[in-house]
Order: sequence, then structure tokens, then C-alpha cells
Amino acid sequence: MLFKIAFSGVRARWKDYLVLFSGIIMAAAIFYMFEAIALNKKFVASTTVGQNARAVFILGAVLLVIITLVYVFYANNFLMGMRKHDYGLFIMLGAKSTKISKLIAFETLIVGLVSTMVGVVAGMALTKIVSGFLVSALEIPVKYFQALYGPAVWVTLILFMVLFLIASFINARIFAKTPALKLLKAENQTDWKQPKTSRLLIQAVLGIFLLVVGYYAMYNIQSLKLNAIWIGLVTIVVGTYFIVNSFFVILLQKIQRSALNNRGINSFTIAQLKFRIRDYTKILSVVSLLFALALGAITVGVGFQSDIPEIANGQNAYAISATNPSAEISARIAKVGGKSTVNYQQKISGKTVYYRAGEFQQKPIKYAAFVMKGKNAGFSQVKTSSLNQLKNPDSSAYQQLVALQNPNLRAFKVKWVSDGVFNQLKGRVNQLQLVRVRDINSQYKSLKAVLEQQKKEFGPQVVQTMGESIVMYTMVKSAFASMEFMGVFLGIAFLAMLASCLMFKILSGAESDKVRFEMLNKIGTRRRVLRQSIMLQILGLFALPAILGLIDVGFGLQMFSQTHLLYHAYNTFMYSAIAFLVLYLIYYGVTVLIYQKIVIPKTRSEK
Amino acid sequence: MTTEIVNTQNLHKIYDQNSETPYEALKGISFTVNKGEFVGIMGASGSGKTTLLNILATLDKPTSGSVQIGGDDITQLTPNEMSDFRSKKLGFIFQDFNLLETLTVFENIALPLSLQNVKGSVSKEKVQRAASRLGIDQLLTKYPTQLSGGQKQRVAAARALVSDPSIIFGDEPTGALDSTNARELLDTLQQINQAGVSILLVTHDPFSASFCKRILFIKDGRIGEEIQIGNRNRTEFYQEILEKLGTFEQ
Ligand SMILES: Nc1ncnc2c1ncn2[C@@H]1O[C@H](COP(=O)(O)OP(=O)(O)OP(=O)(O)O)[C@@H](O)[C@H]1O
Ligand SMILES: [Mg+2]
Repeated sequence: MLFKIAFSGVRARWKDYLVLFSGIIMAAAIFYMFEAIALNKKFVASTTVGQNARAVFILGAVLLVIITLVYVFYANNFLMGMRKHDYGLFIMLGAKSTKISKLIAFETLIVGLVSTMVGVVAGMALTKIVSGFLVSALEIPVKYFQALYGPAVWVTLILFMVLFLIASFINARIFAKTPALKLLKAENQTDWKQPKTSRLLIQAVLGIFLLVVGYYAMYNIQSLKLNAIWIGLVTIVVGTYFIVNSFFVILLQKIQRSALNNRGINSFTIAQLKFRIRDYTKILSVVSLLFALALGAITVGVGFQSDIPEIANGQNAYAISATNPSAEISARIAKVGGKSTVNYQQKISGKTVYYRAGEFQQKPIKYAAFVMKGKNAGFSQVKTSSLNQLKNPDSSAYQQLVALQNPNLRAFKVKWVSDGVFNQLKGRVNQLQLVRVRDINSQYKSLKAVLEQQKKEFGPQVVQTMGESIVMYTMVKSAFASMEFMGVFLGIAFLAMLASCLMFKILSGAESDKVRFEMLNKIGTRRRVLRQSIMLQILGLFALPAILGLIDVGFGLQMFSQTHLLYHAYNTFMYSAIAFLVLYLIYYGVTVLIYQKIVIPKTRSEK
Repeated sequence: MTTEIVNTQNLHKIYDQNSETPYEALKGISFTVNKGEFVGIMGASGSGKTTLLNILATLDKPTSGSVQIGGDDITQLTPNEMSDFRSKKLGFIFQDFNLLETLTVFENIALPLSLQNVKGSVSKEKVQRAASRLGIDQLLTKYPTQLSGGQKQRVAAARALVSDPSIIFGDEPTGALDSTNARELLDTLQQINQAGVSILLVTHDPFSASFCKRILFIKDGRIGEEIQIGNRNRTEFYQEILEKLGTFEQ
């Protein structure tokens, strides 16, 4: 009987349950997808970086478990928020609280089980889609992916079931221990007291100070080494908490004292926000840090990708080298755009490779040199080598030329001789053709076609040892692919989960806001004004962590640019931040819509 | 010459009209309230008091009939006009106070003025005037959770009064108060009324009703009877209300 009543409660609030279910389904799907890839030994081992990739994947998995934990906690809070009143009422009416405890535990478990199972199935579909993306965008071989991967199913099911089991125990305890009256009234009790200004000020100053220390530590990672990360982590976590707790309350208080407060229901909106921010301190701090982590992960992951041309160009000034190119290779080279080609004649005699000195004076060879000082320190630069410079076997130019010759000439000496001497030499004349491209990224496809043909003609092992920059390019690309994948994947997963954590938290409070909005409607507030108030309130709650997170990443990236791990960190940052904000805005919009649906009263006179 | 503040003609309200079980809550109600009157509406539970008040307050629409308040036919207003009408012309006092606990007393009272974007200095003066009329000038910087029930209801009354409404509607405003606090609030309402503000009070408490000058009894969606205080004092009026309730409710 009780079961029936409980179920009717679920039916009455099916929309809220829909939000809850889709949230957990999404979390389980993301988790499954990640595990299906990370646990897949064949796939992880197949990436060029091997063991390194494993470490990255394990780190990613740990982070994902942590955020899932936080997520399930908020999802469960949302569930309890919905059920507290109903079940509290049952207890008031005489239902045994032990029985209700069992009921809520059961409900929690069922909700968890059903949505996790659906989530795993959704995760399989997602894995199929994502593997397609991986294959085309990151050139990771497809053969290792399996949408249905047993170990991943088990890990996902076990983790989620354990989490929901814990949640159901906690929920049962709450019902067994809390008096019914308190359960009924829990949401209406708001002991709002004005915080002391002096305390707020101290916290605000302390918060800013800690953040500055953290940012400074990250900036100085060169000298602080690993300490920078520890210092940064602690100061930024604590600093963020203080800032959320104080700085914004002070800011809102300032607005409250201004004339702005007297317009429309601004006084209500601002007061609500002020009140909420204090109530939300913990979640807002967590969200802002996760936001930073997620955005940072994407930026760094994608940032490595943008390092590839930089690294490849540092290897050699020429993308392709071909000695006596076959017709196929020549045809493919012809298709490369934006290129400049240079040809040198070559004769081999004994253990020495001979070139015409005149040719190298007329068409000096280029080489990649590292800039040691100045603004561009750490970057590579293309330089032109004089013949004298080139003759020195220790010079970069000499070594890079050797790497461009046929691999079987590695151990040979190189000599430059006059045309007369060159003509006297026995043996056939080889043509060494070197191809430079202006933009290796845009020519990647056509260059790779040449490379494939070379592999066909000389065997992949041989080509792999060549000094052509395209060889380096493809190698680094596949090595960074797993980094990029991890960054993008974790970034989006984190964002999705943290935004829905925030959504759940905000929506859990909607029920208790109902009476306020009803009252405002009665005293004559236009519906548009009510809607705007909601948009503003939720905007405040969404924007605050986003702003803090953006600032965190902005400074955090210093770690990568100071250490030259990333060359174009801030370019990538801009794009990933925009993509990120768009996704985040979608969550914001959905939250606003659901909230408005819940709290804005439907007056019959306005139908 | 007396001017009419409220004039309803043949008001009908049918709930769930298109369902299988339509329910006619109001069956042709006509009455007027003149400027400066203090009118009570009494009736048993379910007789249609709240329904009537919601219609008068533009929170609900009548199925048929007309309602004029201050000369305007409020059934013809657009939703936005209805909102503006409520904020400018009406004051509300509800049973459960309905204060916003995140706002100070001052901000709570000022809310209807803010809705009309009244200038800060003007609004401050008006709030102060309303607060001193209800004897809560000392509480302006407090938060609702720091107040007693009686104080909260005074704040609500000040909020209803602050925008100089044509009429104040009260739905059981004393319902959640103890007798001392209820009496104090009713005394204050009476003073406000004597200063010229029209009040329409819905109640089923005879003591509250005895503060009115005229009482309309509703039964099953119709106005059954009407009594006036005339030249009698409140105790005599109270007696009559009790008697009427006795016969009326049979
Ligand atoms: N939204 C609604 N839908 C259907 N019927 C309703 C609705 N609201 C009220 N009623 C019915 O209309 C009748 C009048 O209700 P109303 O709330 O006006 O009574 P009331 O006089 O205010 O009673 P009380 O003294 O208990 O507050 C009741 O029978 C009630 O069941
Ligand atoms: Mg009623």
C-alpha cells in the first residue's frame, strides 16, 4: 500500500525524475565510455607513447571517479529534496519511520540501478560515435575499439552501484533519525543573518592574497619546480573558497546600497543571490575549480596538438627529401602545395658522399635552429647555411643534411668539391630533392601521401629513421593524440558533470522558492520581470564559478608556457574557452527554463 | 456623494468548466463597496470567499459577470495591465504573512514601490510613513526571521498600505495570530480605515468581522444576507454576527 502511494508520488513528479534520470544516465555513459577506452589494454598500448599514455589514462580515470562521486552526491540531494516532504508526511500520518527508511533506500537504489544500466547502453552507443571521431581526427587505429567491452561494463556498474548503495544508506539514516516535523519544514527554514562586514573584508583580502600567491607560484614554475603545483593547488582552493564566501557578498552589498536596488524587484534578486551564494559557497568553489580543470584539460590537450608543427619544424627545415625520386613519388610531390624545391647533385665514392660546392653556394641549404635568447627563445627558426658553416660536421646544418640523405649513407662522410673534381668522380649522379613547405599543417595530407609511397618503396622501418620533418610530424601527432583525446574527453566530461551538479543544486532549491514567486505575482510583479529575476539569479550562480575558473586557467597556463611545454597556449585557450562557454550556456539555459517552469505561478486569469 | 470602489455585477465562477465535473463556486454575486468602507465577507468553508477575492484581485477570471474597481473593468485587462493594477491599486494582507526572508523589513515594505520604479528618496519617505502608521519604525533594518508573528503581519500591512492603494484586501489576515496580536492588528486596520482607506476583509472569525462596518454573508456561492453596524458599538455588532452565523449556517 505504502509502495503504491510512494509510486504515485513518482508519477506526479515525473518531470523532475526525468531530469534526475537523464543526469545519472549521462554520468554513467560518460564513465563507461572513458573506461571502455582506458581499460582497453590493446588500445592504450598501441599508442606510440605506450606506458606514458597509461599513466595519463589512469590519472584521467581517478579524476573522473572523483567528479562522479561529487556528482552522485548532488543528484542524490536532488532526489532527497523531492522526497523529503512526501515521506515526511507519511511519517506524520503514522507510517513507521523504519518502513519509510527502507522505502527511500529502495527508491534510491532503483533510481541508481535503472539509470546506470541505461547509461551503460548509452555509453556503448557513444563509444561507437567517439571511436569514429578518434579515427578520423586523431588517426588512432580503429581496430582496437569495442563498443561493448566487458571490463568497462563491470567497472561502471560496480562503481555506480557502490555509490548508490552508500547514498541509500545515508538516505535511510536521515529518515530514521530526523523527526517528521523537521522533514516537513526543512526547506522553509532559512536563518538568514547579515554577515559581519569586517569578517567579510578579512576573508576577501585573504582570498585575493592566496590567489595571487597561487598564480605567482604557477608563473614561477621554472624555479619552484614541482612545488609550484602544490603551492598553487592549496592556495587556489582555499583562496577560491574565501573569495566566493566574501568578495561577491561584499560586491552585492555595494549594489544593494546603490539606487539600482530600488528598481523593480532588484532588491529581491540581489538579496536572493547574496543569500544563495553563501549557501552555495562549497559547490561554487568546487565548480569553479572543476571548471578550471576541465578548461585547462582541453586547452592543454589541444595545445599539444598545436605544438606539433613547432616540434616538426625544429627537427628539420625540409618536410620531404627524395633521392632519385620514382615517378610515383614525384607525382605525389607535385601535389604538395605552397612548396619550394631544391635539387642537389650527389655522387658516392668509397665511404664519402660528394656534392658540387657551386650548387650549395648558388642555392644555400636551409636548416632549423633553436633560438636561445630573446622574445622567441625556445622556438625554432629556419636559417640559411653558408658553405663554410655546412662543412663543419658538428654544425646543425651538416647533421640535418645527413639525416635527409638515404639512410644507408648515415655513416658516410660528406664533402663539397669543385665542378671539375665532381665530374671526374666515378659513379652515377644522384639527385637529392628537398622539399620545403610554408605551412606543414595545411599540407599534412599531401605530405603524408608522399611518406606512404616512400614507406612502400623503402620499407617503413627505413623511412622512420629519416630526418624529414613530416616523419617527426606524424610521430608526434600520434603520440599527442592520446593527450588530446584525454584533454578533450575529460574536459567535456567534467564540464557536463559540473554544470549538471550546479543545475541539480539550483533546481533542488526551486521548490522552496515557489511561495516567494507566488507572493511577488500577487503584489503585482509582471511575469516578464519574474522571469528576468530568475535569469539573473541563475546567471549569477553560473557566471561566478566560470569567471573564477577562467582566471584560474589564464594563470595556470603560465606553467605550460613558462616551461615551453606549450607554444601557443593562449591561442588554444581562446578557442577552447569559447567552445566551453557555449556548452556551459546551454546548461544555463536549460536550468533557467526548468526553474521558471517550477516557480512562476500559472495564474488562471492569464490563460 | 459616495463613490464606488468595487462594483460587481452578477458574478459567476465555474471551476473545471470543460471537465466532466464542473463546479459552480460563485452563482451570481452582485455588491458594491464605497470609498472609505470597511467591508467584511463571511461564510462557511467552501462557500466561495477566496474564489471571490481572487477574482476581485485579478488573480483569477470570472466565468461571467463584471467587476469594476475604481471605475475600471478589471476583467478586460491584459496580463501586464493586471500586474500593474495589482501593484498600484491594490494592497494585500495574507494569512501567512508572505514576507521575503532575505529582505529587510524596509525592503519588504518598499517592494510595491520598487515595482513602479518610484524614486529612492520618495520611496524612503513613503515606507517610513507606512511603518510609523503601523508602529514598526524601529524594525526597519531587521529581517523577518527576527520578528514575532504579530510584527510580521504589521510589516505585511505596511507593505499593503505603502503604495496608497484604492483598496486593501485581506484574506484571513488574523488567521495565524494569537488573540492579542490579532486584536492589535485589527485596531490598526480600523485606524487606517478611519483615515480613509477602503478595506475588504475575508474571514470566518466573528471577532475579526466585528471590526467591519458592513458584512456580507456568502452561502453556496450566493450573497445570502447583509448587516451593518449602524449606530451600535462593536460588542453589540459582534452579538448580531454570532446570531446571524447561528441561523445562517443551518
Ligand atoms: N482551483 C479549483 N478548482 C476546482 N474547484 C475549486 C478550486 N478552488 C476552489 N474550488 C472549489 O470552490 C469552492 C469555493 O472555494 P473557496 O476556496 O472559495 O472557499 P472559501 O470560502 O475560501 O473556503 P475557506 O474558508 O475554507 O477558505 C469550494 O467548494 C472548492 O472546492
Ligand atoms: Mg479561503
